[in-house]
Amino acid sequence: MTANPRIGYVGMTHLGVCSSIAGASKGFPMLGFSPDHDLVAALAAGRLPVVEPDLDDLLRANTANIRFSSEAKDLGGCDVIYVAPDIPTDDAGRSDLTPIDALLSLTFDHARHDAVIVVLSQVPPGFTRQRQRAGRRLYYQVETLIFGRAVERATKPERFIVGRADPSASLAEPLAQYLGAFGCPILPMRYESAELAKIAINCCLVASVTTANTLAEICERIGADWSEIVPALKLDRRIGQYSYLNPGLGIAGGNLERDLATVVALGDCHGTDVGVVRAWQSNSRYRCDWTLRTLHGAVFAQNPDAKLALLGLAYKENTHSTKNSPSLALLRALPPVAVAAYDPVVAPQSDWHAALTQAPSALAACAGADALVVMTPWPQFRELRPHDIAARLRGKSVIDPFGCLDRAACKAAGLTHHILGVSG
Amino acid sequence: MLTHHHPQPRKPSRAVLLGVNGFIGRALAARLADEGIAVAAVGRGTVDLAADGAAETLAGLLRPGDAVIFLAAVTPDKGRGIAAFLANVKMGAAVCAALERVPPDHVVYFSSDAVYPLRGGLVNEESCAEPTDLYGAMHLARELMLKQAVKAPLAVLRPSLVFGAGDTHNSYGPNRFRRMAREGRITLFGEGEETRDHISIDDVAALTLLTILHRSAGTLNLATGQSLSFRETAERVARLSGQNIPVVGTPRQNPVTHRAYDVTAIYRSFPQFRFTPLEQGLAAAHRE
Repeated sequence: MTANPRIGYVGMTHLGVCSSIAGASKGFPMLGFSPDHDLVAALAAGRLPVVEPDLDDLLRANTANIRFSSEAKDLGGCDVIYVAPDIPTDDAGRSDLTPIDALLSLTFDHARHDAVIVVLSQVPPGFTRQRQRAGRRLYYQVETLIFGRAVERATKPERFIVGRADPSASLAEPLAQYLGAFGCPILPMRYESAELAKIAINCCLVASVTTANTLAEICERIGADWSEIVPALKLDRRIGQYSYLNPGLGIAGGNLERDLATVVALGDCHGTDVGVVRAWQSNSRYRCDWTLRTLHGAVFAQNPDAKLALLGLAYKENTHSTKNSPSLALLRALPPVAVAAYDPVVAPQSDWHAALTQAPSALAACAGADALVVMTPWPQFRELRPHDIAARLRGKSVIDPFGCLDRAACKAAGLTHHILGVSG
Repeated sequence: MLTHHHPQPRKPSRAVLLGVNGFIGRALAARLADEGIAVAAVGRGTVDLAADGAAETLAGLLRPGDAVIFLAAVTPDKGRGIAAFLANVKMGAAVCAALERVPPDHVVYFSSDAVYPLRGGLVNEESCAEPTDLYGAMHLARELMLKQAVKAPLAVLRPSLVFGAGDTHNSYGPNRFRRMAREGRITLFGEGEETRDHISIDDVAALTLLTILHRSAGTLNLATGQSLSFRETAERVARLSGQNIPVVGTPRQNPVTHRAYDVTAIYRSFPQFRFTPLEQGLAAAHRE
């Protein structure tokens, strides 16, 4: 058996950090590269720039297999190099490909001529073929990072989707050896199919979530409870137990929005019908404001100066990311009432709201507030006892879109519990 | 959604109200006066905007730096045909020509929810404006004319069904129900199943005042986000009368249609604004 190939990751992003540490855990010698000296120094010292369950432990257990560098020449020692920077998007979800083009050029320049280079970032169809260089081995691989579950996804992937120039050719040996170590199916296909496969996955997720959001709102108006319906759907084989059926506050995080924008742009450019995707975008924008509408209807209409307790600032639980966070979107639309906020990892910033203060704990945030809003479903918020909340709140309204708190206990504590998908 | 050119409210040097004798015009003039804003009230007696030479006459009344609120229109109760459409467009052309000659600081145009088709679906400012009658087409045409002619910030307000004291119209809804109640019986089209969003005249005036004070630009629907059936509305009006007023249906002539609004843009544009509860608004109108 040949020695394990050396694997490099260019771009110490959420994706790059998690993927490189996962590779180290499989016994491969890994190089994490970033041109950012400070970031590399922090990584070398074991300080991770991202929050993910089990990631710190996984790094500590595999430090012998991974090193970090800001020297591009070190890429010359790698057999396979993944290029994994973040792809920034604008407000309309359009991608800025400048950063990945810069890092891809740097990689071509410093990698060995026979090295396998893999684009791992989320790129639009057509991107990889346009960057192919004669005589070089360039691949595209679908990433399926999920914030808050990145370690699980990186160490136990469901499958690898690999795009290449000629789908009938065999996979380059070092890449086949690396991917084979994860023990899951490998699906080779042409570049464009792989790039679109990533978008197809996300479109299916959005379709499920939008269906849940649409019907959950009807539940709220007709006396139904969406949570009672979900198990029936998950037992339907055509829908499935892992389907995304929890109602939410629209599509957040940036990546799904990017793919929807890409599909709309492709459809417009090629003259195909993408009306349903525009409807998903519209529904997402509408659902994003569920909490704002509920606050105005249930709290501000009665008490225009209501003081608020806000739990959760992160985009979702188990992450430090606030990009496209519904909580921040809510803060920006609130009147200048007093808001006491608590998040386990995110500190409030003064430019998010004119009267925002940081509370030392979830219950401290509730003290003297007229209403409680739970915007990020952190596990620790589920441990809160509604009785303790009621004892500290001045008002009775709890707006808890994701249903973190026990509904029956809220009712028993005299709280009015507003959650997605359930009549009030 | 509106964007504010004055993040902090600031009074204009003068507000010119075109169409001051209508239901909204009178209420708005009173609200602006209460706020201490100088108002130049322009009614048909001052300038007939549909007459030849109206642009010159109006231009002579305007001053650079005015906030111009354009409410004047031949309303559906006075005509729904081609003549009314052409007269309204002519009025719009005169106003645009005057605004090009004497540039204002701010223009607020009162359009209508008639620019939206009545085919169901939640209406917001991104909904397709696709009018199905000449009245709606006229408002959409005037919106586009103003967007072309006005260089200053332009706010387009599209009110839903407005009710309240001082109503000069008699359109189907709370105002007509109130008059019917005085006659001892409220008669509905069909069983009054259609749902509509009724906004009080006080809220329309308050939102317009905020738009003027913030020198806002963009499009905003003026609605409450709460739609009620005509029967439910009629029964509330009947209860307010304090008498046992029957609310009766008639054989249905037209299909049932519904209209509901997503008013998030109002929450975002004016976070501190609070709607008048419907019962309170109806009661205020009842005391007229």
